[in-house]
Amino acid sequence: MQLVRRGDTLAFEVVYERHATAAFSLAYRMTGTRNVAEDVVQEAFLSLWRSGARYDRTRGSVRTWVLGIVHNRAIDALRRSMVHDRRRATDEGIEERLEAGERTDVEVARRDEAREVRTALAALPPEQSRVIELAYFGGFTHTEIASMLDTPIGTVKGRMRLGLQKMRGELNGLAEALA
Amino acid sequence: MTCEHRDDAGAWVLGALSDDERERFAGHLPGCEVCMREVAELQMVADTLPLAAPQIAPPPELKERIMSVVRAEAAVMQAAGPAADAAPAAEAPGEGAAARPGPEPAAPERERPRKKRRSWWRLPSLALRPIPAAVAAAVLIAIGVGGGVLISGGDEARTVQAQVVAPSSPGARAALTTDDDRATLRVRGFPAPPPGRVYQVWLKRPGRPPDPTTALFTTRGGDATVEVPGSVAGVDQVLVTAEPDGGSQEPTRDPVIIASPA
Repeated sequence: MQLVRRGDTLAFEVVYERHATAAFSLAYRMTGTRNVAEDVVQEAFLSLWRSGARYDRTRGSVRTWVLGIVHNRAIDALRRSMVHDRRRATDEGIEERLEAGERTDVEVARRDEAREVRTALAALPPEQSRVIELAYFGGFTHTEIASMLDTPIGTVKGRMRLGLQKMRGELNGLAEALA
Repeated sequence: MTCEHRDDAGAWVLGALSDDERERFAGHLPGCEVCMREVAELQMVADTLPLAAPQIAPPPELKERIMSVVRAEAAVMQAAGPAADAAPAAEAPGEGAAARPGPEPAAPERERPRKKRRSWWRLPSLALRPIPAAVAAAVLIAIGVGGGVLISGGDEARTVQAQVVAPSSPGARAALTTDDDRATLRVRGFPAPPPGRVYQVWLKRPGRPPDPTTALFTTRGGDATVEVPGSVAGVDQVLVTAEPDGGSQEPTRDPVIIASPA
């Protein structure tokens, strides 16, 4: 990131290569359309390029930082366009795909981590996983979720917190390792 | 020890608080040990959630699009020298949801370089600088007095007339057509940029300096049609300035075209 900060395009390209799939996957999962996901990733990486100086390694990994930008950008895109009726990634039947050549040790480890997170999310009571998914991937506010589910706001917020706490227990240190 | 705001911690790390609530919670956090601890623990979990998304490789052309902008901007920065290098980063926009939790908001911003005068995009409104009345009529030609008036529209593309400000171009017109979040700018009867300069399109979002685009153009016979790169969602003004060849990271001149997307 030091080099990106100094305007090194090759260093930026390395950062892109490392994190583009995770970034695009998150953007696509959230927005549900390829074009919007591409715009979100483009905006996120360009803002990263233009503001690399704001990365503070004491606050987490580059990956977390990049994905944080993507998440915020995707929420903006969702709330701007109110495309909450968008098609979901699963609606388009897109399967998880990584080229065989990309299955490096890192990718294998990443897949194991992904499985662990999905398992932890799936293990939650449905009412907790639902509010977490609607909030994080759907970009909905807790007020919108409360209205959608016809549930009191306090209950929705409580479910979010309890669900995340349970996931923390399930993840057994993965969260700390990724931080 | 507990806190009545503790339940907000989950919504906070998930980005699910409304703007007002987010602001309030951000103000509350620094003074509340309970909530700070809660946020720290839950944030770690929230940071793992992207892993739950099915992994999909981005299209290769996306990288090309991004890298072409990055290389162009790097070339501009290099050409401008180290003094210009600091400006864009210092002015780097807060990310869209700058107040949301995450890695960006807390990161320190670089000190802004001192400028001799405030640039036009930092003025309270994006009005052009006042022009002495005596020369105003000769210099300022606003075509379509109701710049920004919707002149065609529908469910799909919508076109608005842009405000054109150009010396010696009495017949100049410009219109911006937006389709979903894409925009196309068309200019007619517009003079060529001054020697050594090129027109550059900028995207202005509320409360932020204009973002440069890679849309650089000149006019042929007074006409040009320019696809505005990227999304114009959230953009309140599309601007055009005459910049040195290769474009700039921040505007060096006042806008000659101002369009407000429909």
